[in-house]
Amino acid sequence: MSSIPPAPRGGGTAGDSAAGPLAPPAPPPAPTVAPAARAEAAVKVYGRGDTAVRALDGIHVEFAAQRFSAIMGASGSGKSTLLHCLAGLDRLTSGETYIGAVALSRLSDYQLTLLRREKVGFIFQSLNLVPTLSALDNITLPLSIAGRRADPGLLDAVIRITGLHDRLRHRPSELSGGQQQRVAAARALVSRPEIIFADEPTGNLDSRSGGELLDFLRRAVDDLHQTIVMVTHDPFAASHADRVVFLADGRVVSEMRSPTTDSVLQVVRHLGD
Amino acid sequence: MFKVSLRSLLAHKLRLVLTATAIVLGVTFVAGTLVLTDTISATFTSVIGQVDRGVAVAVKGDPVATASGRPGAAQTQPLPGALLARVRAVAGVSDAVGTLQRGGIALLQNGRVVGRGARAAMLGASWIPDPELSPFRLTAGSGPAAARDVVVNAATAQQAHLAIGDTVQISYSASAVQTFRISGIATFGGQTSIAGEGFALFSLPTAQRLLGAGDHYDAIDVSARPSVTALQLRDRIASALRGQPVQVQTGQQAAAQAEQSALTRINEFVGTPLLVFAFIAVFVGTFLIVNTFSILVAQRTQELALLRALGATRGQVFAEVLSEAAITGILASLAGFGLGILIAALLVDLFSSSVHLSIQISALVVSVLVGTIITVLAAALPARRATRIAPVAALRQAQPEIQPLPRVRIAAGIVLVAAGTGALLQDLLGASASSGPSLQELGLSVLAIFVGVALLAPALVRPIVWVLGWPVRARGTPGRLAGENARHNPRRTALTAAALMVGLALVTAVAVITSSLEASINQAIDGSVKAHLIVFDESGGGFNPQVASTLRSDPRLASVAEVRGSAVLVGDVSTQVGALDASAINRDVAFSMTAGSAASLARPGTVLVDTTDATSQGLHVGSIVTMTFPNASRLRARVGGLYTPDAIVSGFLVSIPTLSPHVTTPEDEVVFADPAPGVSLAVADASLLHDLSRYPLLKGFTTTQYKTFVKSGLNTFLNLIYILLAFAIVIAVVGIINTLALSVMERTRELGLLRAIGMTRGQTREMVAWESVIIALLGAVLGLGVGTGMGIALVSSLHADGITATSVPGANLALYAVAAALFGLVAAIFPAIRASRVDVLRAVTTE
Repeated sequence: MSSIPPAPRGGGTAGDSAAGPLAPPAPPPAPTVAPAARAEAAVKVYGRGDTAVRALDGIHVEFAAQRFSAIMGASGSGKSTLLHCLAGLDRLTSGETYIGAVALSRLSDYQLTLLRREKVGFIFQSLNLVPTLSALDNITLPLSIAGRRADPGLLDAVIRITGLHDRLRHRPSELSGGQQQRVAAARALVSRPEIIFADEPTGNLDSRSGGELLDFLRRAVDDLHQTIVMVTHDPFAASHADRVVFLADGRVVSEMRSPTTDSVLQVVRHLGD
Repeated sequence: MFKVSLRSLLAHKLRLVLTATAIVLGVTFVAGTLVLTDTISATFTSVIGQVDRGVAVAVKGDPVATASGRPGAAQTQPLPGALLARVRAVAGVSDAVGTLQRGGIALLQNGRVVGRGARAAMLGASWIPDPELSPFRLTAGSGPAAARDVVVNAATAQQAHLAIGDTVQISYSASAVQTFRISGIATFGGQTSIAGEGFALFSLPTAQRLLGAGDHYDAIDVSARPSVTALQLRDRIASALRGQPVQVQTGQQAAAQAEQSALTRINEFVGTPLLVFAFIAVFVGTFLIVNTFSILVAQRTQELALLRALGATRGQVFAEVLSEAAITGILASLAGFGLGILIAALLVDLFSSSVHLSIQISALVVSVLVGTIITVLAAALPARRATRIAPVAALRQAQPEIQPLPRVRIAAGIVLVAAGTGALLQDLLGASASSGPSLQELGLSVLAIFVGVALLAPALVRPIVWVLGWPVRARGTPGRLAGENARHNPRRTALTAAALMVGLALVTAVAVITSSLEASINQAIDGSVKAHLIVFDESGGGFNPQVASTLRSDPRLASVAEVRGSAVLVGDVSTQVGALDASAINRDVAFSMTAGSAASLARPGTVLVDTTDATSQGLHVGSIVTMTFPNASRLRARVGGLYTPDAIVSGFLVSIPTLSPHVTTPEDEVVFADPAPGVSLAVADASLLHDLSRYPLLKGFTTTQYKTFVKSGLNTFLNLIYILLAFAIVIAVVGIINTLALSVMERTRELGLLRAIGMTRGQTREMVAWESVIIALLGAVLGLGVGTGMGIALVSSLHADGITATSVPGANLALYAVAAALFGLVAAIFPAIRASRVDVLRAVTTE
């Protein structure tokens, strides 16, 4: 585990590195440890000819290990595409993405599948769970697909902090939306992935459930030293991250360390102009 | 709304194809059967239309007193030769000829039988010299004038390259091989064969001698002088023959009657059995259609709710789903009709190249109606469910809900199974006395059981899948998920499996029956047959007692005993009486007597009765039994003993001397023999076969060979059933493909999620394959269970008829289960590939 302590949080340093909307994107900070994920000159074009859309327009971005990072941007800014390409769910038109030191573009579908299984965890916005399996079976699903057993200590710890111990035998249809998302989060954690990608994990939740889930993700980074990259359009959600990257038209236009809801909101307003 | 149906259909071509396949296959079978029977009927009609041309009046004997089970046996009593002169003497008669006709002629060329199997048997008939009365026309040569002349049909002549003047051998079961010279080649009603059957024509005296008819005729055909009408002449002849046991008809009446009886027989032996299997195929298809439309309605919940929200009434939604079914039904039925014609054409071509296919409008109408009505009816239930969709469902991201099994459904299932089982047992036990249960009653009972089990099956899915899933779960997560998926929607799984159940249950029931039959025959051979050699006619006909004489003169054979038989009426029950020599008792055949003694058979006028008949007719030792023979003579016999029947000996038995006065032409059914003292079985068998070489249609077997022969005959029957049920099984497999494909579509997001979190394509395919195997095995478990039950019920109802052993062929049943699992794997191929190609990204993104 890294010797670097978790970054301090709070409003005090807000705006430190928050660039104005007109400022050029900040260069990637010199990494003290290898980044958990990164994109280099990443281009993703959907369609062709007149209808072609450049969802990613030569993006350079890195996400540090053991940090909670958020990606923000308006609809169509390319934030979900970036997440999918970083996670090995989609392929770039050109450029490269890495998980740790592994370049994804050269992997076959089978190798990508194994990479997702071994090194990546996912939390999606909705329909995260297999409806025929109990909560516990859903949590251990990536491990059992890989034919591995869960580390009992870790499993217990994860279940404890998610507060799911009395819902483990229930099917997803018998759980609330917040509980379902916590099961998804527990599933992402329990296989000890190198990085967890969360795509609008609070998008379908009420504010209380959303807050609980975000607190849980925060603790996963602080207590379990996980790495999380989350796409969100919600400034409150982003405020739980260590760092926020802002995207527009397929490029990184700004970024901010130790964000607060207000500071994020400001940047979002500027970007919206 | 109709526009919506059409759009919906076109938008889901795959769905259309899958649903339609079931209908197409069912209708193919129906249409094929109808076209085939129409074709056979039309061929017979056109042939019969030519037969009695020029015949003004036809004289036949009265119908035989009792139906004979023998193929080719005369259905009317023979006419004494003296009648011909009396007919000729009637005023207005231009000409009158006696005619004779029998099946079971074998034509040999250089010692080899021409034609194979069922097609080897030809019709033997008397040549009618008067062209006005004859249905035959020479295409070459001349009529059979000499005693050794024969005229053969053109198709046979062509097939065997026979020419005028060639020498052939001819054997009728009742006589040894004799050499003939071909004097001519003929057609019948313009056809080169009689609906595929060949014929050989002899001069009348030769025919009478060869066919063992003595100086009798089957019929007398009369032509009229121009001065009288057919009706007048008929009345004159009828009054001239008053008091004789004959029926006098005009030529037209006789032709109409012949045509009617031919059509009845075609329906009885071809049409009805095929239609039964066609019905089974359609029935299985119904399961599939119900299932498909249920899934479609579930998947289209949002779309249908939107229609409701936009103002469509419940009636319109109902009509929308039903019209989609109707369009599918009509299109699929038309395709099925086309395919049916093709299959009928192939089958007809297989049997005769000279027959033209008869495609009737009625066949088209029936096929399309059956296909469409079944589809619409099967879709009605899901359509009704569609009307219950609330408009608000359009606004929800609706997950198809799995409702618990309603109690009403379970109750209905239990009632149907109980009623069906009860009715089945009653049909079987109540009918064992004489006539046998009717096909409709049996069919209805079986149908009730199937529908009942299908209704109950969802309740059985969870436990059975849990047990079956045991080995599958051991195969890791894909196997475990497969089990969960199969259990997830029990109704869907159950309905899919039930379709396979029907075919497998019928196969299993037939397998149990044939296996029990085989075991019973083996048991009977070991128990009652003491002789080591058996001779009989494979086609089931009787044969001339001179065969037995030949064997008796063979020094390597001993204790040769004949078994004869005749149809009789006892009271008003039509049955068979057997006859054998008293000397054969306990030497060739043993009886287990319950009363009296078998040896009493030696006394003239004594009859032995099996215990079943004794019970049903209230007979005991000393009772008098009155038997009426086909020639209307009567025998009053005294019961000398009661015996337990088995698969070889059953019914009424008299001695040959007691029977002889009552039969016109004595024919043996079976001849038993043993090796002479000091002769090995192999030598005796070889000698027997040498003796029989003059009778090419007769079989000579050792008892061991006979067992093998019975087994292979039963296996042939079983194979035929496999082929006939193959349609039903294929439809069931299509059903599995359909269910899996639709559920893969429905679970796109789930599959995408699994792929995202690390399930490989291979594991995804494995998961679908296991689910398919589980469904198929569920169908197998239900089918084997229901089928074994039905088979045992049927067998026990036959105990009284000598089917004493009940045998469940475990190896066959295991084979069916393995086959079902393989069907499951095959059915999974396409859906599994589809599942593994699910776009991960589209599955996990919300939009």
